[in-house]
Amino acid sequence: MSTVLFEEPFATMPGSSPNNQPGQGDMKVISCIIRPEHLEAVKAALDQLQVVGGMTVTDVRGFGRQKGQVEHYRGSEYTIRFIAKVRVDVVVRTGDADRVVAAVSNAARTGRVGDGKIFVLDVRSAIRVRTGERGVIAL
Amino acid sequence: MKLITCVVRPDKLDAVTDALDKQHIVGMTVTDVRGFGRQKGQVEHYRGGEYTIRFIPKVKIDLVVQDGDTEAVIATISKVARTGNIGDGKIFVSEVQNAVRIRTGEKGTSAL
Repeated sequence: MSTVLFEEPFATMPGSSPNNQPGQGDMKVISCIIRPEHLEAVKAALDQLQVVGGMTVTDVRGFGRQKGQVEHYRGSEYTIRFIAKVRVDVVVRTGDADRVVAAVSNAARTGRVGDGKIFVLDVRSAIRVRTGERGVIAL
Repeated sequence: MKLITCVVRPDKLDAVTDALDKQHIVGMTVTDVRGFGRQKGQVEHYRGGEYTIRFIPKVKIDLVVQDGDTEAVIATISKVARTGNIGDGKIFVSEVQNAVRIRTGEKGTSAL
């Protein structure tokens, strides 16, 4: 005899698997803001893991708690508010997310202010445009 | 934690940053984007003929905040970025599962 503990309204949604609790999916997007000079190292680290199907890289600018940096030019100070960074987005199976976070952290860390951040968010659906495939097979 | 993604006019970037600074929201990522909403671009005139610029330059501001700060941040950005004209932009909110500060390895809200 089985006991139904929760509804499974999302069980038939594309990209979800049976026994998923609502709000928990098969896939996560790992969005990393890193120093531009670490892009190659991060890419190499992700290649080695072999769980990453691809990545999207965007040039961005931003700042964290230190609110930019102070530069000097010809004897006077000026503040660069927005520092150039690179954003690397990868979508992976939920089970691989922790390893990806660890790999990116290690490849991108210098220990100095400005190293960046990593955010992990749920992905509801993934579709391969060329074929229409949905879910983890689209990764 | 919530991810607040704002698409605003490029000339509003400094005003939004200053307003968030006053609220002690630290940290944001800015991307140059282009887009359109319901008006589907704008019509320009050149040498007597009309042409439509479909994609208008905008600036995307991403910030991750604690759940409790979400409404206040949305209110601030809306107020500062609004001109009342078509093209003011939009704000989207999504859920963040986790956050990591790369330098130290801190996770969760202490990474913000």
